[in-house]
Amino acid sequence: MKELEKTKRISIATTLFILVVLIGVLSFKRPKNLYSFNTVETLEKIGAENLFVTLEDINNPDFVLVDVRKNYNFDRGHLENAININSAAILDDENIDIFKELQNTNKTVVLYGKDPEQAIAPYMILYQLGYTNLKVLPVENSYNQNKLITKTVEVEKYANDINGFIAESIKKSAVVKKPKVEVKPQPKKVITIEKKKAAPTEGGC
Amino acid sequence: MVKKKVAKFLALRYKILALIFIILAGGLVLLPKYKKHEGIKPEELLNNVINPERYISTDALAHKIISKDPSILLVDVRSEEDYNNYTISNALNIPFSKLLNEENEIYLNQDQYDLVFFSNDNFYADQAWILCNRLGYKNIKVLEGGINQWFLTILNPPVPTENMAAIDFEQYNFRKAASMHFGVAYPEQTKEVKEPEVKAVPKKVVTIEKKKEVPTEGGC
Repeated sequence: MKELEKTKRISIATTLFILVVLIGVLSFKRPKNLYSFNTVETLEKIGAENLFVTLEDINNPDFVLVDVRKNYNFDRGHLENAININSAAILDDENIDIFKELQNTNKTVVLYGKDPEQAIAPYMILYQLGYTNLKVLPVENSYNQNKLITKTVEVEKYANDINGFIAESIKKSAVVKKPKVEVKPQPKKVITIEKKKAAPTEGGC
Repeated sequence: MVKKKVAKFLALRYKILALIFIILAGGLVLLPKYKKHEGIKPEELLNNVINPERYISTDALAHKIISKDPSILLVDVRSEEDYNNYTISNALNIPFSKLLNEENEIYLNQDQYDLVFFSNDNFYADQAWILCNRLGYKNIKVLEGGINQWFLTILNPPVPTENMAAIDFEQYNFRKAASMHFGVAYPEQTKEVKEPEVKAVPKKVVTIEKKKEVPTEGGC
């Protein structure tokens, strides 16, 4: 009799335990956006990839242009066939759906903003979430009388020879110094000669 | 009949419970997927990234370097080659590709220094910042515009035109002084020294002329 009670208790406890686990599993809500890569993987992958496309390539039918600037800038002027997804809103449900669909249809998303730097934030975040069909268009957009002017820029280019500039500036200021040094000895020489001349006249008298 | 069935079931009950536990344990296999989900949530990361607070201007950085602010630590995220060619004074080199190597973690994950990332633009520096921010590293800033902007504003500042505000002249004077601190020389620096020396030369000539007069006097 005692043993029967013991086994009963064990089975009740295990059933309860399984129930708790099941409730936990069922009520667990998957986070909406999950990273697909950890940071080390991301670093390796973006280092190996060419993340830029050129302005000439954007007419490729597989490319979908995404303007990450604010809405009013987009309305003022944007590249042809671009869609507007502000970088602050890229994780909104409807926008994530757009990115998912583009990934499923093998399209490449080309991000651009006011300058290439503006496109990094959405690029990095979407990339880490697993959307690897991303490119950045390295352009600078500005307006001239409400007309959009798009200019290609080279990203991370060492634009100025700084060592050369510093050396040049030192040289420039040093050039002025040099004649001073040359000027000094000349009058001295003349002076000594004059002295000699004076001496013989003394002896003459 | 029913009793028999129940008895049969009850005989198997431990096996059934054990099976359920094994299935649940199988669920653990799926867990490593979440390892990838290290760091802060994507939504939080996005909020941090679109906030321009991480940028430090070239003027502010120059001021900090010149006043020898001990809390600042510059990190050049460009390649070693670029670093050896030119870098801002006393910067540390952590190439972007080696950013997350273990030996660099002690520099990145600390709260004693304000790190300032920079590259030629702020493109790589921003990328590096985003990865570090995801890992929760604090106290990291990005030099706005990078070395190119550093050159254009600090090392080679544009001379303000006369119709600009006094603030612009003050800023120019600061930047010019800063650029001298970083090794740029200006012609007027040496000009000022040159003038008194030139004056000294005619003086000598004058004294010598007096000497000339003396011997002719003695001759007579």
